[in-house]
Amino acid sequence: MELLRQAVGETAERPVALPRVARAVLQSQQVGLVVVLFVLGAALTLSAGSHTNPVTGATVNNFLNKYTLIQMATDASAFAIMGVGATIVIIAGAIDLSVGAIYAIAGVTMTMVLRAAGPLGPVTTVLVGLGTCLAIGLLCGLANGVMVIGLGVHSFIITLGTMWIFRGLAFVTSHAESILVPPPLTAVAKASLGMGTALYPVPLLVMLLVTVLGSVYLGRTVMGRHVFAVGGNPEASRFSGLRVSRINLGVFVVSGLTAGLAAFLGASFYGSASSSDGTGYELYVIAAAVVGGASLLGGKGSAVNATLGAVLIVLIRQAIRTLHMDQNYEWIIIGTAMILAVVLDQSGTKLLARRLARTAGDSPTHRSG
Amino acid sequence: MQAIREAMRRAVVAVCVTGAVAACGGGGRASGSTAQAGSASASAGKGSVFTIAMIAKSSTNPVFLSGRTGAEAAAAELSKKYGITVRINWLTPPEEDAELQAQRIAQAVNTGANAILVSASDAGKVTGAINEAVERGVPVMMFDSDAPQSKRFSFYGGDDEAIGKQVMSELAAQMHGKGRVAIFSGNQNAPNLQRRVQGVKDEAKKYPGITLIGTFHTIETPQDAAAEVLRVEQAYPNIQGWAMVGGWALFTRALLTDLDPAKVKIVSVDALPVELAYVEKGLTPVLLAQPTYLWGYQSVHTIFDHVYLHKQVPEHVEMKLVKVTKANLGDWARQLKAWGYPNVDPKYLSLGK
Repeated sequence: MELLRQAVGETAERPVALPRVARAVLQSQQVGLVVVLFVLGAALTLSAGSHTNPVTGATVNNFLNKYTLIQMATDASAFAIMGVGATIVIIAGAIDLSVGAIYAIAGVTMTMVLRAAGPLGPVTTVLVGLGTCLAIGLLCGLANGVMVIGLGVHSFIITLGTMWIFRGLAFVTSHAESILVPPPLTAVAKASLGMGTALYPVPLLVMLLVTVLGSVYLGRTVMGRHVFAVGGNPEASRFSGLRVSRINLGVFVVSGLTAGLAAFLGASFYGSASSSDGTGYELYVIAAAVVGGASLLGGKGSAVNATLGAVLIVLIRQAIRTLHMDQNYEWIIIGTAMILAVVLDQSGTKLLARRLARTAGDSPTHRSG
Repeated sequence: MQAIREAMRRAVVAVCVTGAVAACGGGGRASGSTAQAGSASASAGKGSVFTIAMIAKSSTNPVFLSGRTGAEAAAAELSKKYGITVRINWLTPPEEDAELQAQRIAQAVNTGANAILVSASDAGKVTGAINEAVERGVPVMMFDSDAPQSKRFSFYGGDDEAIGKQVMSELAAQMHGKGRVAIFSGNQNAPNLQRRVQGVKDEAKKYPGITLIGTFHTIETPQDAAAEVLRVEQAYPNIQGWAMVGGWALFTRALLTDLDPAKVKIVSVDALPVELAYVEKGLTPVLLAQPTYLWGYQSVHTIFDHVYLHKQVPEHVEMKLVKVTKANLGDWARQLKAWGYPNVDPKYLSLGK
C-alpha cells in the first residue's frame, strides 16, 4: 500500500482528505457518464423552453417533465436490456450482432404462438408470451454459442450470419405481417402503477432490474469473474482450468435471453410484432456498451455503464428534438459523440498509466529495487 | 489525489462529449419551418405559435420530403393569413421504424405540439401512441398510410387497393391485355403497399392473357430498387411489363439505359421530376402521380381548420392520383416546379405551353 501511495504521489504523512464514500464515488467507473448525463440534462432543461399543457393549462418545461423522462427511459430500455447482455459478450472477448434479429424473431414467434393458442386468461397470456420470448432468445443464443465454439469461427462472422438467418426466419414465418399482441400483454407493459395517465414505468423498472442482475452477475459471482478472466486472457484462463467453451456458450445464451426479454417488452408496449422490428438495434446496443466503457478486446465492461450508455444515446437523440436541431444530423451527432467518448476515455487512461509508470520509476523504493 | 484527478479526467470527457453534441447540432438548420429560439410554446388560440409535428415514414424517401415542402408552404400561408406562427416540426425517422415513430409521437406531445401529422409505417405499432396523444389533448391526423383503428380525427390518402388496380389496368392497356408481368413493391411490412399489391393481383385476374410471374420487394432507396429490377430482369428475361406500386426504381436514371422500351413497359405510382425522362422515352408510358406535396399541404390545412378554427372536417379526405403521360408532361412538370421541386428539367417546362 505504501508503494502504491508513493506511486501516485501521496505519502503516509499526507493523509487523503476525502472521505471514503466520496473517494469511492469519484473512483467509480460510472462518474464520467453520470456527469455527462447531468450536464446535458441541465443544458437541455435551461434551453428547451416550455409549453402549455392543453389539458391542465399548466406551463411545462419541454425537457424536464415527467412524461419526457419516463418516455426517455422507455426508449432506452430495449437498448439497455440488450446492452447488458451485449456487454457480457464483449467482456468475454466476443461480439453478438444478431440481437436485433433475435428481438424480431422472438416478438414474431410470441405473437404467432398466442394467436394460434386462441383466447387465454390474462395471466396465462402473459406467461406464455414471456416464456416464448425467453425460449426463443435462449435457443438463438444457444445456436450462436454452439456455432462459435463448435465451428471455431469468430463470433463476428457467426452472428453476422445468424442476424440474417433469424430475421429471414421471422419474415418467412410471419409472411411480413404485423401481428397484434393480445391486450393483456399491453396492459402489463403499459401498467401505470399509480403514476397517472400516459406514464408507464414498467420498461424503466425492467431496465433497472436487468441492470442490477447484470451487475451482480459480473461483480459478485464466480461465473461473472470467469467471464472477465476469459475475456482478459483466454489462454491463461484455459491453463488455469477454466472451462472456456462453457463460459463462452453461457455469454451468448445470456445475450439471447436479454434480447428475448427486450422483445417481449417492446412488442407488448407497442402492441404488435413484425419481422422488421429491431432493424439496426444491434448497432445501438453495441454503441451503448462501448460508450459505457466496454473494451472490444475483452476483459473490460460494466452492466451499469451499458445502461448509462444507452440512456446517453437516447438523451442525445432527445436533445436533437428538444432543441429543434435538424433531424438529419442525428447520425452524425451520435457517431461523433460516441467516437469522442471512447477516444477521450482511452487517451485519459493511457496518460494516467504513463504518469503512474513514471512516478513509480522515480520513487525511492523503485530506485533502490 | 488520484481519485480527484480521475474524476477530473472523466468530467473533461463529459464536457467534451456534451460540447461535441452542441457543436454538431448547432450548425444545423432548425427543423421547424420557421426559425424559433427555443420553445414551441403556447397552445392553439392562446399564443403566437401553433406547432404541428410531422412524422412521415422515412427522411430518405423523396416523396416525404415533397410532403414536408407542402406542409411548410401551407404553414407559411396560414401564418400570413392569421397573423400567428404556424410551425412544422419535422420528426420523421431517418429510416422506416414504426417503434421510433411511436416514440416520436410521444415526444411531440411531451414537447408541446398542438397537433401531429403521421404516416404509419406499421399501424399496429403506432395506434397506441396516437390514442395516448389524443387522450392527452393533442389531435392526430394521418396521411398516406392510415391507422384506421386509432383515434385520429382524419386521414388524407388514397384507396390503396384501388391504386393497385389502376396500375394494373393501365399496364394491361399498354400491353394490349397480354404478356408476362412482374409486380414491384417496397417494404414488405408496409400495409398500404401490401394492399396495392393485392389490388394489382385482383385486377390482373380480369385479363386472361396476362401472366403474373411474381412480386419483388426492394429496400426503398433508388439504388437498391434499380439494382433489384436489373437482377429480376436477368433472372426472367421474358418480362414484358412491370407493375410498380411505388416509384423507387425510377428515382434514378439507371433503368433508362438498361431497359428497352420496345420490349418492356412500366406503369408506376409516383411521378417525381427524375421520372419524367422515363415517360419521354416511352419506357414508362403512364405514371400515376401521388400528389405528395398535398400530403403536407392539404393535411396542414385540414389540421388548422379542425384544431385552430374548430371547423368540421371529413374523416377521410380522398387523394386522387394524377395520370401523367407524354400528353400532359409539360403541365405536370410545371406543377412540380410550382410545388417547389428544384430539379425539374427545363426542357419539360416548355412542353405543351
